[in-house]
Amino acid sequence: MKRSIFLAITLMIALVISSFATVTIVMTAGAVGAELQVLQTQIKEFMQQNPDIKVVLMPMPNSTTDRYNLDVTYLSAQMPVPDVLFLDTIDPPAFADFLVNLKPYFTDQELSQFFQGAIDNDTYNGRLVAIPWFVDAGILYYRADLLQKYGFQPPKTWDQLIEEAQYISQRENIQGFVWQGAAYEGLTCDFMEFVHSYGGNILDENGKVVSDSPQVKTALQTMYDMIYKYKISPVGVTTYQEEDARHIFQNGDAVFMRNWPYCWPLLQATDSAVRGKVGVEVLPEGTGFPGVHHSATLGGWELAINKYSEHIPEAVKLIKFLTSPQQEAYKAINAGQAPSVLSVYNDPAVIKAVPLFKSLYNVFMNAEPRPKSPIYAQISQIIYDNVNAALTKQETVDQAISRMTSQLKQLLGQ
Amino acid sequence: MLKTKNDPLHKSDPAYALIFIIPSIVVIAFVAFWPLAQTFYNSLYKSALMFPQNKVFVGLSNYGALWQDPRFVNDLWNTIRFTAWSVGIETVLGILVALMLNKKFKLRGLVRAAVLVPWAIPTVVSSEMWRWMYNDNYGVINSILMSLHIVKQPVVFLAFPSTAMPAIISVDVWKTTPFMVLLILAGLQLIPEELYEAARIDGANAWQRFWSVTFPMIRPTIGIALIFRSLDAMRVFDIVFIMTKGAANTETLSVYNQWTLFTRGFIQPYFGYGSAMSVMIFLIIGVLAIFYVKMMKIRLD
Repeated sequence: MKRSIFLAITLMIALVISSFATVTIVMTAGAVGAELQVLQTQIKEFMQQNPDIKVVLMPMPNSTTDRYNLDVTYLSAQMPVPDVLFLDTIDPPAFADFLVNLKPYFTDQELSQFFQGAIDNDTYNGRLVAIPWFVDAGILYYRADLLQKYGFQPPKTWDQLIEEAQYISQRENIQGFVWQGAAYEGLTCDFMEFVHSYGGNILDENGKVVSDSPQVKTALQTMYDMIYKYKISPVGVTTYQEEDARHIFQNGDAVFMRNWPYCWPLLQATDSAVRGKVGVEVLPEGTGFPGVHHSATLGGWELAINKYSEHIPEAVKLIKFLTSPQQEAYKAINAGQAPSVLSVYNDPAVIKAVPLFKSLYNVFMNAEPRPKSPIYAQISQIIYDNVNAALTKQETVDQAISRMTSQLKQLLGQ
Repeated sequence: MLKTKNDPLHKSDPAYALIFIIPSIVVIAFVAFWPLAQTFYNSLYKSALMFPQNKVFVGLSNYGALWQDPRFVNDLWNTIRFTAWSVGIETVLGILVALMLNKKFKLRGLVRAAVLVPWAIPTVVSSEMWRWMYNDNYGVINSILMSLHIVKQPVVFLAFPSTAMPAIISVDVWKTTPFMVLLILAGLQLIPEELYEAARIDGANAWQRFWSVTFPMIRPTIGIALIFRSLDAMRVFDIVFIMTKGAANTETLSVYNQWTLFTRGFIQPYFGYGSAMSVMIFLIIGVLAIFYVKMMKIRLD
C-alpha cells in the first residue's frame, strides 16, 4: 500500500515536472542490491550529456510477479508514463501490443552487438519490442573444496551429480543439492533445464504441446528421485525460492546449488561461510536419450518503451546510452549484472572485477528461452503447479505429466 | 442533555442530520458502491484488460461458469475451511484470554497492551516472519521439535496439503486472536458488577455465572466480532499469497481472483470472469453476514 502511494506520488511529481520546458522521461527500475544506486549514477551522467532531458526513476517491487502486475496496471490505463519499462525476459510477448517497435531505431550492426538469443527473445511477431539490458542463466554452483577433498570432478551428468552429492553429503552431514522447487516461476526455470538436458521440450518450435514424452517424464522423475530416492535434496526444496537455496549454500550446508549468477558476489562476500570455496559450471546433462545436452534457462531483464509515451526519441536515446558497451561494463563491475553486449566480455576491467563472467559467456551464448507466448504466465503456472504437485506427492509423476499436457493443450486450443 | 423547545438548533434536527450525513454518503457511494457497480458491470462482459474495445456482452453466463470451474469450487471449499477453523479457534481463545485479562492483577495494563502486538504487525511482515519460522533448515519451529525429539526429520510445513493449511490457519490465529480479545474485553467491561453479586447470592457457581450472566451479556459483542472476523477470513489474501502462493492446496478465492484478474485477464478474455468472481465473493460474504445477524439476533440499529 505504502509503496503504491509512493509510486503514485512519484508519478504525479513526474507529470508536474514534465510540464516544464525540458523533456522528462520516467523509467521503472529494479532495486535489488546495488542495482538502483548504480543506475542513479548512470542516469546522472546521461543527464549531463543531455541537459534537455530529465530522467525520473521509479523503483519497482522486487518480485517479478509484482512487477508484472504493476506493468499491467500502467499499460492497461494507457498512461504516457512510465516511458521506459524494465521488463523480465518472459514479458515482451504479453506486452508487445503496448510497446514501441524498436527496429527502426537500431541498425542491424547495433543489434549484432547483443546476444542473439536475447534479441530473438525480445522479437515478437517480427517486431523488436525490447532491448536486452542484462542477461541471466541458470548455473551450477559447487563446493570446490569438498569435491577436491573427496577426489571428485565437477559433475557432467545428473547421474554423476547424484553420486557425488550422495557420497559427500553423507560424510559431511550436509545437504547434497539445493534448487528452486516452490510453486512459482523459478520452478519452471529449473524444470525446463532438466527437460532440455534430457533432450525433451514442453512446446516445440511451432508451439505444439510435446510434454507427454519419455524425456519429460525422466526429467521430472529425476527431480523427484533427488528428493525421495537418493535424498540429496531436502524435502523442503519444494518450498524453496532462489534466496532460500542461497542461504543454505552460503552457510556451507549444501554441496551443490542451482541458481542465477547474482549469487556469486554474495557467496564471495566477507561474511560468507563459503568464500573462496565455490566453483561454477554449466548445469549437468541428462543421459539415455538422443539430444541430451547441458542446458541453462535464459533469464535477464529488458528495456522497452511504452507505446503511449510522448517522448519516444528521448527514451530511445536513454536505452542506447544504458546498453552502450561503456555503461554495460560499468553496470557489470558495480552491480554484478551480466552484460547483454558481447564485447564487454572481452573488457579486461570487467573480467578482473567479476572473473565469473569469462566462464559464463558460453552459458549465455547457449541459454535456452522459456516458451515464448503472450500467455506465458499461464503456461508457466500449469507447469510449476503440476511439477510441484508431483514433488510434494499430490500427484504421481505420470499423473502430473498427463495433467500438465492436457491442461496446456486446453489452454492453447490444441 | 437539556432540550428546549425554542432552541433553533434542535428544531430542525432532521435537516441538520441530513447535511451532516451527506458527505459520508457521498464518500461511501464513491469508494464502495461505485466500484462495486463497475465490477458488476464488467462481470456481464467477456473481455480482456488489454483489449477493452473487444468486449462482448454475455449476461450472467460468467456466474454460471464459476460453478462449472473446479478450481473455483475447490478454492471456495478451502476458503470455508480456513474461515471455519481460524474464526472458531480465535473465538474460543479470544473469550478465554479476555476473561483472564478482565480479572484484576498486577501489570494488567501492560499485559493488555502486549497482547495486541501480533495484531499491530502488518500481515505481510508477520507472514514473512512465520514463513521463516516454518523453514525446514533454519526455522525455529523445527529446531524446537527436533530438540524435544518430537520429530526425527524436519517437517516441511508449507509443502504438503496436510500441514500447509493448518500452518496458515495458525498464523491467522496468532495474528487475529488479539482482535477478538480486544472486542470481547470491551463487552466484558460493560457487564455491571451487580449482576454477578446477584448471581452469587442466588448460589450460582462460576460455570453457571458464565453461562447465565457473562455469555448472554457478551453475545452481541461476540456476534459483531464473528461478523468482522468471518468476513475478513472469507477474503483472506495476504497470508496465503506470501506463505504458499496457493501451493499445497491452500489457494483461497481471493488468491485465485487476483490471478484471474491480473495474469489471466490481461490478455485472455477473462477479466469479466474475474469480475464475476469478485462479485460472487461479495455475495457469499453478504449472505454470511445476514446469516450471522439473524442467528445472533443482533440489532443493527
